[in-house]
Amino acid sequence: MNENKIIKKVNLDEDWEEFIKNEGLLDYNKIPLKRAKIRGWIKIAFWFLRIYILIMVIMVIIGFSRIH
Amino acid sequence: MKEDYKNKLDELPVDIKLRAVDRLKVHLMRQKYGYFSRLCLLLALIGPGILVMIADNDAGGVITYAQTGAIFGIGFFIPFMILMLPVAYIVQEMTVRLGAVTHRGHAEMIWKRYGKFWGLFSLFDLIVANILTLITEFIGITLGMEVFGVSPVISSVTAVVVIASIQLFLRYFTWEWISLSIAAFNLVFIPLVFFVPHLHWGAVAKSFTSWHIPGGVSSLFIYVILANLGTTIAPWMLFFQQSSVVDKGLTVRDIRDGQIDTFIGSVVMIIVAIAIIIITGFTVYSANNAAKLDIQNILSIVSSKMGPLAMKLFALGLVEAGLIAAIAISASTSWAMGEAFGWTRSINLPPLKGWHFYLPGLVSIMFAGTVVLIPNVPLGFLNLTVQVIASIFMPAAMMFLLLLLNDKEIMGVHVNRPWQNISAFIIVGFLMLMNGLYGLTVMFPHIFG
Repeated sequence: MNENKIIKKVNLDEDWEEFIKNEGLLDYNKIPLKRAKIRGWIKIAFWFLRIYILIMVIMVIIGFSRIH
Repeated sequence: MKEDYKNKLDELPVDIKLRAVDRLKVHLMRQKYGYFSRLCLLLALIGPGILVMIADNDAGGVITYAQTGAIFGIGFFIPFMILMLPVAYIVQEMTVRLGAVTHRGHAEMIWKRYGKFWGLFSLFDLIVANILTLITEFIGITLGMEVFGVSPVISSVTAVVVIASIQLFLRYFTWEWISLSIAAFNLVFIPLVFFVPHLHWGAVAKSFTSWHIPGGVSSLFIYVILANLGTTIAPWMLFFQQSSVVDKGLTVRDIRDGQIDTFIGSVVMIIVAIAIIIITGFTVYSANNAAKLDIQNILSIVSSKMGPLAMKLFALGLVEAGLIAAIAISASTSWAMGEAFGWTRSINLPPLKGWHFYLPGLVSIMFAGTVVLIPNVPLGFLNLTVQVIASIFMPAAMMFLLLLLNDKEIMGVHVNRPWQNISAFIIVGFLMLMNGLYGLTVMFPHIFG
């Protein structure tokens, strides 16, 4: 009983394409994603990350050289 | 009803078709009203959050919590673990929103938004850390099974076969429920608390007011803090939950349920972690040379003080922890590779059609299962390397997560709110501070006395 009511309400026969789109049932490999613009504070964050990685790598090299 | 949509579903690619069947059920559930229907909808949508959090209580995590209790007792680390609950939730909740809004995994988002260099950097770190972490999972599985008299060769080969079968032959919905069923065994540590002799709940309650650190701040204390932080938030968790949310097909309308899912998972994870700390905090803490005890020593003390049944249940928990984490980590490897290189990627894919998607995860499992059997392999060194890579990579992974969650172009109205950014920055700052302090203790071992 409920099932019939639900099917009428949803009416996917007419809105199938919308259902597919709303539910994200697309092949996202075929939908291009634009590259982010690296500027302002994002640029600073990336430089900070580079410096952090460099410091950590130096510390790791020193740390491991002391183990062996 | 099924007949009406069968033809339309058949037109979709196989992985999307199976996801569409699940989403159709969710779509219909959403039309119904009432508390029971709402509960059914929630049950249909939860999974990734609970799975990632329980898988985070992996073999390495269980060993870390056990050693934490053994070395420092309950004084500091029980309230500390309570603090880890919002930390885990805040970090993982961001992956739910990112996955539900973009329908793309973390590796793909980094690769496509920030370029090949950072994409490769993240992928390389993730894969190396995942492979090394998988070795620690197999250490847990083989050690735990040895308690039941099973040889490491048999337990390792069996684990590889079980994990490979779960990955290859189940569609996402079944894969998730089988994984959650295995994860339920993680709760075995909770009733074990009641086996602890002379357990004083008053002492547990007192820890919240005292925050006592036995021996004060030392390099060992910083190491244990970092290890506990590292077991609460790890890079693979970000990649896993986001990919899982995408493969499950969650959309913006499911974000609230995804948040509930993540919160339930965080609570369960912390309760289990506290249970393990209480067990070893009350049974092993007073033992001589507690800092030098390995998991076998801890298991034997647990057996002598709580009985062989308790020890066997502890070992069973260790095996489960290794198994569920190996399932999750190998899946995250496969998803990340697929996302980075644009392969069709889904647990819904049949084995032959999705062989290239499954291959990286399966190879990593077989590699870890083999390495653990090599005699005299430097397991301690491997464990240290896992920690080091994860510690370096985590702030980087968090930075990408924060950049993406503040990107209005992709997130729209779902961007981070100020309190979410402030909380996340505090977490990253604390993680980097502890990394730096630990690095200093490695270079200058006597800096904290």
